[in-house]
Amino acid sequence: MIERDDLDMQIAEYVLGTLPVDERNALNARREQDPALEARILEWEQRLADLVDDVEPVEPGPELFGRIERALERNDSSSNSNPGSNVVALRRQLNRWRWSTAVASAAALVLVAVLTVQPQPSSESFVAVFQHDDQQPAFLLTVDLEQRQVNIRPVTAEAKPDKSYQLWIKADELGPNPRSVGVLGDQFQLDEAALSQYDPDLLREATFGISVEPPGGSPTGQPTSPAIHGYLYPTGDDAQGDNP
Amino acid sequence: MQSDPSTSTAGISKLIARVAQADRAAFSSLYQATAPKLLGVVLRILNNRAWAEEVIQDAYLKVWQKAGQFDEDKSSPITWMVSIARNSAIDELRKHPTGRTVNDDQLDQVPGGQTTAQQQVEDQQSVNQLNHCIDQLEKERQDMVRLAYLNGWSRDDLAGQFGQPVNTVKTWLRRALQDIKRCLES
Repeated sequence: MIERDDLDMQIAEYVLGTLPVDERNALNARREQDPALEARILEWEQRLADLVDDVEPVEPGPELFGRIERALERNDSSSNSNPGSNVVALRRQLNRWRWSTAVASAAALVLVAVLTVQPQPSSESFVAVFQHDDQQPAFLLTVDLEQRQVNIRPVTAEAKPDKSYQLWIKADELGPNPRSVGVLGDQFQLDEAALSQYDPDLLREATFGISVEPPGGSPTGQPTSPAIHGYLYPTGDDAQGDNP
Repeated sequence: MQSDPSTSTAGISKLIARVAQADRAAFSSLYQATAPKLLGVVLRILNNRAWAEEVIQDAYLKVWQKAGQFDEDKSSPITWMVSIARNSAIDELRKHPTGRTVNDDQLDQVPGGQTTAQQQVEDQQSVNQLNHCIDQLEKERQDMVRLAYLNGWSRDDLAGQFGQPVNTVKTWLRRALQDIKRCLES
C-alpha cells in the first residue's frame, strides 16, 4: 500500500511538473510501454486540468501553423523507426495515396500499405491491409526489404476466374501515378523478381495497392476499379487470430 | 465561443478522431480551435515567445502522431492536448533551466514580498471544484501547487522562493496533492 501510494504521489508530482528530472525522464519513457501507468497519469492530468481555466489564451503568430505543416511533411517523408507509431505512419501513407488517387480519378484499389520496422530483422516486416468494407477483398502483403521479396496472402479475397488482381506500387520517386508491380497468379503469387528493380529505401517509403482488373491486368497501365481502403491486419503473431 | 461547434468538447473530440485518420483539414481546424489556449499555457511556463512557439510546434506534431491513442473515456480532449503541450514545455524547461531566466520577470520581487508570479496566481482563479479544493490547503501550499503547475516551478525554485529545504517542499507538495485528490473524491 505504501509503495502504491508512493507511486501515486510520484505520478502526481510528474503531472504537477515538480518530479526531479531523472525520475521524470524515467516516467516519460515508461508511460509509452505501460498502459496501467499511462492510465494513472491521465487520471492525474484530469484531476489537475481545471487549473488552466485561469490561463488566458494567447494568439500564436500567423506563420506558426505553416511551420507545423512543413515539419509534418518532413516527418512524413522520412522513415519512421519507432515501432509504436507504425499504425499512424501507415495511415499517413494511405492518406497520401488516397489524395493522389482522388486527383487521378477513381482508381480501383484495395490499398495495402507496407511499412517495415527498420532496426529489426527483416522477418519483422510490418504489414497492413486496407479494405473498404467486408464485401471487398482484403490481402496481407509482406515485403522482405533485404531480399526484395513480396509475399501476398488473401485474407478475405478469393481468386476470380474472370478477373485478375494487380499489385501497384507508389512512391514519390516514381512520380504521381501508381506503377504496376505485376498481375497476381491463381495462388496470389508474383514473379520473384517483381521488386528487384526497386531499392530498399524506396520500398520502405512506398505504398502498395491491389486493384481488381480484367483478366491479364489493367489495359490502361493504371488501376481501373473503384477506390477501396480500410482495415488493418498487422502480421504480428498475436494478431493472427483476428483474421477471418 | 461556446456556440462554435468546433470548440465544444464534442467538437474537439471529433476533430481528434479525424486527425487520427490523417485528416489534414481536421488538423488545421483543431489547431485553430486549441492553439491559443495551448500557447497561453506554454508561454506562462517558458516565459519566452519564440521558445514557446517551438514547443507548440512540437506539441502539435505529437498530437498528429498520437491522435489515435486519444480516448475520450479517459481524458477530456482539451485536457489531453494541454497535457501534451505542458509536458513538452516542462521537459524543455528542465533541459534548459536557464532558458527562461533571461527574460524572466517572474522572480522579480514586488512590494509585499511576493513575486509577480505569485501575484498572478492569486489574481485569477476560476470557480471550479479544483480551485475550491486547493483553497482548502494552507496558503503556502496553495501557491506552491499553482506556481508548479501553471509556471513550471521546480522543487528547487519553490525551495528558494519559500525558504524551505527541498525535501520539505517535496513533502508539502505530496501532502497537498494527496489532500486535493481526497477533496475531489469527496
